[in-house]
Parts: sequence; structure tokens; C-alpha cells
Amino acid sequence: MRAMAKRNLKIFFRDKSAVFFSLLAVFIIIALYAVFLGDTITGGMESVTEIDFLMNSWIIAGILAVISVTSTLGALGIMVEDRANKVIKDFTASPLGRGSLAGGYILCAFAVGVIMSLIALVIGEVFIVCAGGKLLSMGNMLAVIGGIFLSVLSSGSMMLFIVSFFKSQNAFGTASTVVGTLIGFLTGVYIPVGSLPEAVQGIVKVFPVSYSASFFRTVMMRQPEAVSFDGAPQNVLQEFHTELGVTFDFDGKETTVAVCVAVMLAAAAVFCTLSVWRLSKKRK
Amino acid sequence: MTKLIEAEGLKKSYGTIHAVRGIDLSVEKGTLFAFLGPNGAGKSTTIEILSAQTAPDAGTVRIGGHILGRDDMAIRAEIGIVFQDSVLDKLLTVRENLMLRGSFYGMKRSALENAAKAAAEAADVTDFLDRPYGKLSGGQRRRADIARALIHTPPLLFLDEPTTGLDPQTRRRVWETVRLLQKERGMTVFLTTHYMEEAAQADYIVIMDHGRILAGGTPAELKETYTRDILRIAPQKEEALAALLKRCGVRFQKTGGELVVRLKHTTDAIRILESCREEIAGFEVRRGTMDDVFLNITGTEVRD
Repeated sequence: MRAMAKRNLKIFFRDKSAVFFSLLAVFIIIALYAVFLGDTITGGMESVTEIDFLMNSWIIAGILAVISVTSTLGALGIMVEDRANKVIKDFTASPLGRGSLAGGYILCAFAVGVIMSLIALVIGEVFIVCAGGKLLSMGNMLAVIGGIFLSVLSSGSMMLFIVSFFKSQNAFGTASTVVGTLIGFLTGVYIPVGSLPEAVQGIVKVFPVSYSASFFRTVMMRQPEAVSFDGAPQNVLQEFHTELGVTFDFDGKETTVAVCVAVMLAAAAVFCTLSVWRLSKKRK
Repeated sequence: MTKLIEAEGLKKSYGTIHAVRGIDLSVEKGTLFAFLGPNGAGKSTTIEILSAQTAPDAGTVRIGGHILGRDDMAIRAEIGIVFQDSVLDKLLTVRENLMLRGSFYGMKRSALENAAKAAAEAADVTDFLDRPYGKLSGGQRRRADIARALIHTPPLLFLDEPTTGLDPQTRRRVWETVRLLQKERGMTVFLTTHYMEEAAQADYIVIMDHGRILAGGTPAELKETYTRDILRIAPQKEEALAALLKRCGVRFQKTGGELVVRLKHTTDAIRILESCREEIAGFEVRRGTMDDVFLNITGTEVRD
């Protein structure tokens, strides 16, 4: 299994276009943010202190959530490609357990997700600091890194389930384009959740990846909020949170970090089970 | 001689397509076994069954004491396969491909390195070991495929049309490699091909079409049974020779200014040539070829 995972990693990182396309959604977010989204979102809040630090942290948190989806999906593309190219025949004709084979793809997707997220985090932090913000504190940094593992696990399981349906590279390509496009909306990165219509907000709230985003936003915005919202009343902060998808509002109750962790774990468990069920059914 | 492969009553259908309709096979240890048939005859499906890739709908297979369906992992560990398609990773170098595949057979690092080296030498790929597989030429890829199949020194090697699509020179080279391996290592080679000149060098040939085995035997046996030797005579004067042959009761055909006689026995040619010696400008006696065998066997079947 380890040898297979290593092989998949090598193939993924040597395929420059696979790496690029798995990061495409991220590049789009950065470009949109740099061009106009940043101004739109912060419009009317220019007077708030440390608003750049606050909003930069918000966008990097969103990117971390998106990258956990697109990078794992990209890595799982190797599985689809092996099936389409019949390379998989060479593996099934070897004394290699089916579990090790599937495990190799999953382990690789997880590793790719974590590696890409960590790189994004480092670049993001450099960007935040260069733009006048501060580095994450030790505690928050560890929380974010822990969150990366959880969010990759949860998003990766979802992607594994999706990928289990595809046999051709065409279908996979289309799916990754759709996912890459929608993910920015579904996690409220392109447009803050509060600005979306009521119905769409409902979708965002039930989409598990939104809780990865919520987790990263909560943790990463703690420091800038302490400055920006210093002395502000609780309800102002809460309104700001639900507006930007830092937390979600259910009948006046705010979700917490614990809820995010629970949702991520639950999504991982559900989609892992479903994928194992699908992959083992196909073995016949 | 011991049997390495023994298969009985193999059947496999894909929906309404009956790819293999009940075949029996046995392959002796250390031989080169050629499996012949037109495209779509069911050769690849048979190989897939024998190499534990596809489960048959019916039938039993024994490979070196292992029973297919029960000891699949053990069978997989003892066979090497060269597939029709390229199945190595294009983005990895030949060495990386070999090392990865070798690890499937439970080899430790140092043993693996030696195995990769030995396989590379046997298949003659040492010159491009560190080049990405995707950048190799067709012939180089094929040799790399063979090296991969040899990484665990399997006693049984399956080759599914190993030379299809290669230029004649490369084809010969690949073929020589296979031949050498079989002779030097006593490896059993199970090969499908549609090149007759390759099949003619096998120890045993089985001809298959429409999912059934039509004939089997050594190349000499098959030629003996399914072909006639041919005598071609270039005449001095065509009419005179034709008349002479008719008088002797020899049946012939005219093609391209030559008279062609199909012989029961090669030595019959001597008697015929003696009797019309004066009228002969030139002659040729040609033994039946594998091409004739193949056409006679599969051609008849098609007409039925």
C-alpha cells in the first residue's frame, strides 16, 4: 500500500497539469479577490481597524477549505486515469490485495490534500503578514493544522465517493470542472454567505465543506477580530459572523467550532462507508 | 514432461457475446506454447482467465498445482504477463516502474534492486533504465514491458500479442529475447500472436476461433495434417507440358504462367518431374507453411 501511495504521489506531482488544475479554483479565488471581490466585501467597512488583516484571514481560510476538496479530487484522478488507461490491469494481475490498491489511492489523496493545504497555509500566512497582518499564534496555528487533517479527511472522503462513479477521463474532467466552479459558491468564498439568497444559504448550511471553511475562519479570524471588534457588542460580532459564514445561524443559535469538527468527522465517516460499499460492490 | 497448465471446459460470456465456449488446454513445462487465432477469436479472454484476471463462467484450471479461483494470489505470484496494451506508468522511469512492480511480490529493497537489474538485463533495457516510460519508442516500451513481467522471475510468462505493431527489426529483437528466456531459464511461455512465422517456432500450437479450439499440435504435425506440399513447374512450352501431365494423370492448376501441382507426399514430386523432364524450364517444391495451416483451419470454419 505504501509503495502504491508513493507511486501515486510521484505521478500526481510529475503531472504538472494535474497539479495546476487541482489548484485552478484557488487561482480563480485569488484573482477575483484581488480584482474586485475584496473591495465589494469590505465596502462600507473601511473605517474598521485592521480590516485588511481581518479580510485576508477570511479569504485564506476559505481557500484552505476549497483546496481540501480540489486537491484530493485531483489526486483521485489518478485512479480514474489508471482505470481508463488499463494500467490497473497490471495491478490486479499482480499479487496485490484489492485493499492495498484502493488504500494506495486514498492514502495518496490524503497526503496530497494535506501537503497542498499546508503549502497554501504557508503562502497565505506570508501574504497576510506582508499585507500588514500578524502571524497566527502557536495555539491557533496548531488548531488550523489539526483542522487541515480533518477537513482533508472529510472532503477527501466525499471526493472518493464521487470518483467511484467515474470510469472515463472525460466524465472525471467534467466533474472536476463542475466541482471546481461550484465549490467557491457552496463554501461562500466567492460571495459571502449573507449576500446569497435564502435558498442558497440553506444549501451552503448543509454542505459539509462549509463547516471546514467555518472552522478555518473561526480560528484564523480570532486574532484580527480581537482588534477590529474590540469593545463591539456581541450581537454586532454575531451578525458579522453569520454574514461572512464564520458561523452559521440555526434559529438564532450560532454553530461552534465543536459543531464544525463534528460535521467534518460525520461527513468523513458517512462518505468513507459509502465509498467502501461502492468500491467493494464493483469488485464482482 | 509435467503439465504446468491444465484447463478443462473453460467458458466465458460477456452478455450475449460468447467469448470462450468450452475449451480444454494443457501446456507442458518449459515449452513455448503459441495460441493462434484471428482477431476476436477469444485468445485474450482465455489469457485473462488463465492468469487469474477474469473468473471463468465455467471450467477448472490448474496452474503448477494451484487451483484457479482458490489460489489466485499464489497464481498471480508465479506468472508474468506482457499485456497487449502498455500498462506501465508513463510519468515514471523504467527503473521506478520496475521497482514499484517488484514490491508487489514482497521483495525487500536490496533483493528488489538486484531483481530490477537482472530483469533489465534480460529484456535489454539497461540503456534507457532512467528514462520516463512515456518517452520511449514502441520497441523500447515493449522491452520494458517484458522486463516488468520478468521482475519476479516467474516460471510462467504470458505474452498477449507481444510483437503487434512493431517494425520487423524490433519484432525480431523482442522475439529473440523471448526465445532466449524460454531456452535459458526453462521458462514456460504462453503466447498469442497472429504472425505465422512466430507461431511456426513454437513447440506446440493451438488454433482458436469463435471461442473454440479448432486444432492443436506441433508445427510439423499441423503442417502434415492441414497442408499439402506444392510443386510449381515453369514450362518450356505450356501446352506441351499440360498435355504431358494430363497423360500421366496428374491434376494441376495454371497460375501466372506456371503449373501448380498439389502433392500428397513431397517425394511424389520426383516421379512427376522425372516423367516430364524435357518440358521443364524450372521448378520449385514448397512445403506447406503455417499460413496455409491457419487459412485452411480458420477458413473452413468460417464457411461452415
